[in-house]
Amino acid sequence: MNPPVITEQERAQKELAVVGKGIPKADAGVKVTGQAQYMHDLELPNMLYGKILYSDRASARIVSIDTSEAERIPGVKAVLTAYNTPEIRFGFLKDNMALKKDRVRQYRDEVAAVAATTPELAEAAIKAIVVHYEDLPAVFDPEEAMQEGAPLVHELNPKGEPNKDNRLRLPWKFSAGDVEAGEAASAFIAEGEYETGWVTHCCLGTAGCVAAFDPDDNLTMYSITQIPSLAKADFQEAMKAMGVRGKVRVVLTTLGGGFGSKLDTYAFEYIAMLLAHRTKKPVKILFDREEEFFATSPRQPTRIKIRQGCDAEGRLTFRDISMVLDNGAYTSWGATTPTVMMMPSSSLYQVENVRFRATCVYTNNTYAQAMRGYGTPQVTFAIESNLDELAEKAGIEGYEFRLKNANLPDTVTPQGFKVDSCGHVPCLEAVAERMDWAGYRAAKAARLAGDATGAGGDATLVESDTAGVPPVAQAAWTELPDKVRGIGMACLLHVGGGAKIYKSDGCGTLIKVDDLGYVDVYSGSMDMGQGLDTILRQIVAETLGLGVDRINVVIGDTDVCPWDAGAHASRSTFVAGNSALYAAQQVREQILNSAADILDTPRDGLDLTGGMVVCADDPEKTTKIEKVLRKAHFASAGNTMFMAAYFYEPPTDLLAGDFKGNYSMAYAWGCHGVEVEVDRRTGQIDIVRYIAAHDVGKAINPLLLRGQILGGGLQGIGWALAEEMIFDEGKLLNPNFRDYKMLTALDSVDVEPILVEDPAAAGPYGAKGIGEPGLVPTAPAIANAIYDAVGIRLRKLPMKPEMVLAAIMEAEGR
Amino acid sequence: MFLPDFDYHAPETLAEACDLVRDLGPSAKVLAGGTDLLIKLKHGLVTPTAVISLKALDELKTITHVPGRGVVIGARATHNDLVNSPLLHERFLSVSEAAHKLANNQVRNRGTVGGNLVNAIPSADLPPILIALDAWITLVGSNTSRTVPLHSFFTGPSCCVIDPVDEILTEIVLPDQQTTGSTYLKFALRRSGALSVTGVAVAVTMDGDTIVDSRICLGAVFPVPVRANDAEDLLRGKTWSDELLAEAGEAASCCALPITDIRGTAEYRLDLVRVLTKRALKRAITEGHV
Repeated sequence: MNPPVITEQERAQKELAVVGKGIPKADAGVKVTGQAQYMHDLELPNMLYGKILYSDRASARIVSIDTSEAERIPGVKAVLTAYNTPEIRFGFLKDNMALKKDRVRQYRDEVAAVAATTPELAEAAIKAIVVHYEDLPAVFDPEEAMQEGAPLVHELNPKGEPNKDNRLRLPWKFSAGDVEAGEAASAFIAEGEYETGWVTHCCLGTAGCVAAFDPDDNLTMYSITQIPSLAKADFQEAMKAMGVRGKVRVVLTTLGGGFGSKLDTYAFEYIAMLLAHRTKKPVKILFDREEEFFATSPRQPTRIKIRQGCDAEGRLTFRDISMVLDNGAYTSWGATTPTVMMMPSSSLYQVENVRFRATCVYTNNTYAQAMRGYGTPQVTFAIESNLDELAEKAGIEGYEFRLKNANLPDTVTPQGFKVDSCGHVPCLEAVAERMDWAGYRAAKAARLAGDATGAGGDATLVESDTAGVPPVAQAAWTELPDKVRGIGMACLLHVGGGAKIYKSDGCGTLIKVDDLGYVDVYSGSMDMGQGLDTILRQIVAETLGLGVDRINVVIGDTDVCPWDAGAHASRSTFVAGNSALYAAQQVREQILNSAADILDTPRDGLDLTGGMVVCADDPEKTTKIEKVLRKAHFASAGNTMFMAAYFYEPPTDLLAGDFKGNYSMAYAWGCHGVEVEVDRRTGQIDIVRYIAAHDVGKAINPLLLRGQILGGGLQGIGWALAEEMIFDEGKLLNPNFRDYKMLTALDSVDVEPILVEDPAAAGPYGAKGIGEPGLVPTAPAIANAIYDAVGIRLRKLPMKPEMVLAAIMEAEGR
Repeated sequence: MFLPDFDYHAPETLAEACDLVRDLGPSAKVLAGGTDLLIKLKHGLVTPTAVISLKALDELKTITHVPGRGVVIGARATHNDLVNSPLLHERFLSVSEAAHKLANNQVRNRGTVGGNLVNAIPSADLPPILIALDAWITLVGSNTSRTVPLHSFFTGPSCCVIDPVDEILTEIVLPDQQTTGSTYLKFALRRSGALSVTGVAVAVTMDGDTIVDSRICLGAVFPVPVRANDAEDLLRGKTWSDELLAEAGEAASCCALPITDIRGTAEYRLDLVRVLTKRALKRAITEGHV
């Protein structure tokens, strides 16, 4: 079904009343007053508390599990293992099981589970279970895991066939043009190896669920998933494995953060189902903070090799990227991140000859999942850091180099992306202008010239001087102040109009209007704090000419809401927004057609605005919308209530095969600029200034949009400088906020967002998705600024002070 | 992770509290702010059958100046009581500043000075500055009371000279003194809610540009907070200069014996001792008690 097209011109002519306004989030009130119902608040009658026993080793054979003592504890209602439950397989390759049988492959493996009348009893029961293991060889380094003779993490694939090695059989290869020819045509080539480790989402609301069966074996799963429709399908499949015939309903509570962590289903959810079905009572499993750290799936670690070249004028000639990803012991969405990494690899900047290869390898580490950016932050760290190295080789200043190669509107990239709206150059220019890029560079060059001649130089370099004398001209390091500054920038490309990585990238919306002028919008999408419900209110309110207070958005119940592919790929504002827009346009047409009859005036002269049906031809006929609604409902002639349904499927290509095609309806661009101060004696990096320019298409809600950019920026700065999950042979050493250094309020940086509005033709009111981009270019922008300040190239994240100091001392020969 | 069962006592007087500590013996633990004890209880690291809370002992919460003794800080004063004390702002702002660098605001609202000392972790933020200011403490038992210089209070990680079955730490005293400047510099991997990777406190007594005397105390680089005696000796009687302070930093690093852990390697901690000692000295010399 094609979307109605009639209102586009009308919209353009009309000043927007609600869209584009920074109205507060719909749920702000209930959240700040503590009325929002999180999973932690949910209690059902007769509910039991589930708890999981995890493996205490990385690789072992399960010799025996003795649950007898746990079963004897009064109040313990069920003790489950893989040996007394049906096998439930799940995950992208179905290589994971709810409860592990015969062997464990990582520390977080679920070995047994209990349900008891109190959380305390559940914990006591878990402690009473005795498991005997026999250690097996383990492998923790993905490159070692690829070697011949490395211990196999899975002896058999999910089909039961023997695995030859630990490499996943996934086709992550892309090429366009001729890389060898590009290399031959290069005047300059830069290459480097980059490494990113594990970081986790740090949702303040820990994960959990309540599983409840009715007497007919229908399951209601109270959930915090980001993918209600897909999770429902997963749970329904698990019901089949359990031999249970009922139907699944997924109901969301308020989420305490998502960031991609809830894009796949987890073993704990299937375990709750098993416990609830066994006990015939609702069972709640709620993670504590330690579990949230070690038993949810982090960002995929990468080791990236990159080569890029340019001609004598500085135009990119080729880009060649290969990488190894530590998949961990099982396969979730983390293994598919290379499909998204292909996007900036092939299409960020104009480069014809591109090659991309990624290998995912099983290890006995924790398995990885989706996290904000879905691989693009990792590969952008390599691309944008290496780009500065190439620019330096070519003798071209980094900003000029980027401008020369920037993406332009109305182009098709080597991967086949049809770029219409493109704010790449405006974002670059906005950052350069805000930071006085040229002035900064000129001042530095002048100082440098002064130093070189010994005359006219800045003899009194003060601490915090912005000199950042570049490394190439260091006369004597000892003369530098302890603290020096530098600037850096990095750009990003992300999908901004959905992403067809499933067979459907669609979203459905139902709208009903009552006869008092209140509107209920049932969307398949969901909110994890990003403000989707607020955005939908604004879009529907704008389209129907009503105030946002008249619009109620209902999300997070698969019995009520239509299908949606989930909150990922920065797609919700675009896809769910369009779905709601087109449904609202249908309702609008229904109302206007009825109004034309009721008011006895031509349809063409009517408009909905300010809560009124406005009659341009005869202003005396202008009337309140609800009057028309009631007349339509109660008038003997009509008896009409207004309702509409719309399923929006972006007309994009499915990403598969050679990975070429237009798999998003719009592309989001951005550029971050940063000034850092480096303490040469401690390695401490302070962010002096942080500018984040984003091509957002159209800001539906600038307040929320700034929040997304600020939040993404801070999460990215934490990733770049401080956050890391520290593992010792698969065991997480810092499963707490004391030693996992997520930034605190005191560490936060005043990220300055710049909104570049280059409307996306296919976007709702021109909007592009912007949930993830704020994080993507943070690390390379900071790394480039550090290089500018002290001349060291950091290729591994996080760039923590100790590493920075070691590199500085090496460079300075101290 | 849940709190285990235990008997709970909240004595009304210090004498009553001391009697309980003696009577209940090793099966009891003393509770002040709880920011360390409750975590240990939940993790099963300590398993007392009784907890003796000092919450009713308000006389242990005051911060006053007693002529002839100095600034007397009650052991139950919270970190934020130190942060917000006008008396400390006037006399030893450096102590308030050190307390402000500790943990995060929630912990500073609950955690107490006495608890921080008795917990005796090597990276604690208060001991270095208190030792640099030559503080001593009072330990009260059911029939005894004794004073101990803070620099000899700690005996190892999580170990100190308090008799756990008889004594309660009641006060910390900063004696009146000739020092002209003091400061505590902390290096951590985050600005809030982070344990120190290395901390350095110094107190100096200046006569013009001459360092009459100094006390330097290092945190998180030795099993206990440790005085950098070599650096102090090197500075005594000299006219200060950047080069001299750098030498003192070098000497201080020879007094440290750090370990490698997830917050930093031993080598890095030695680098930090060098630079922090130099910077702390310069700050105390040029800016006073800050």
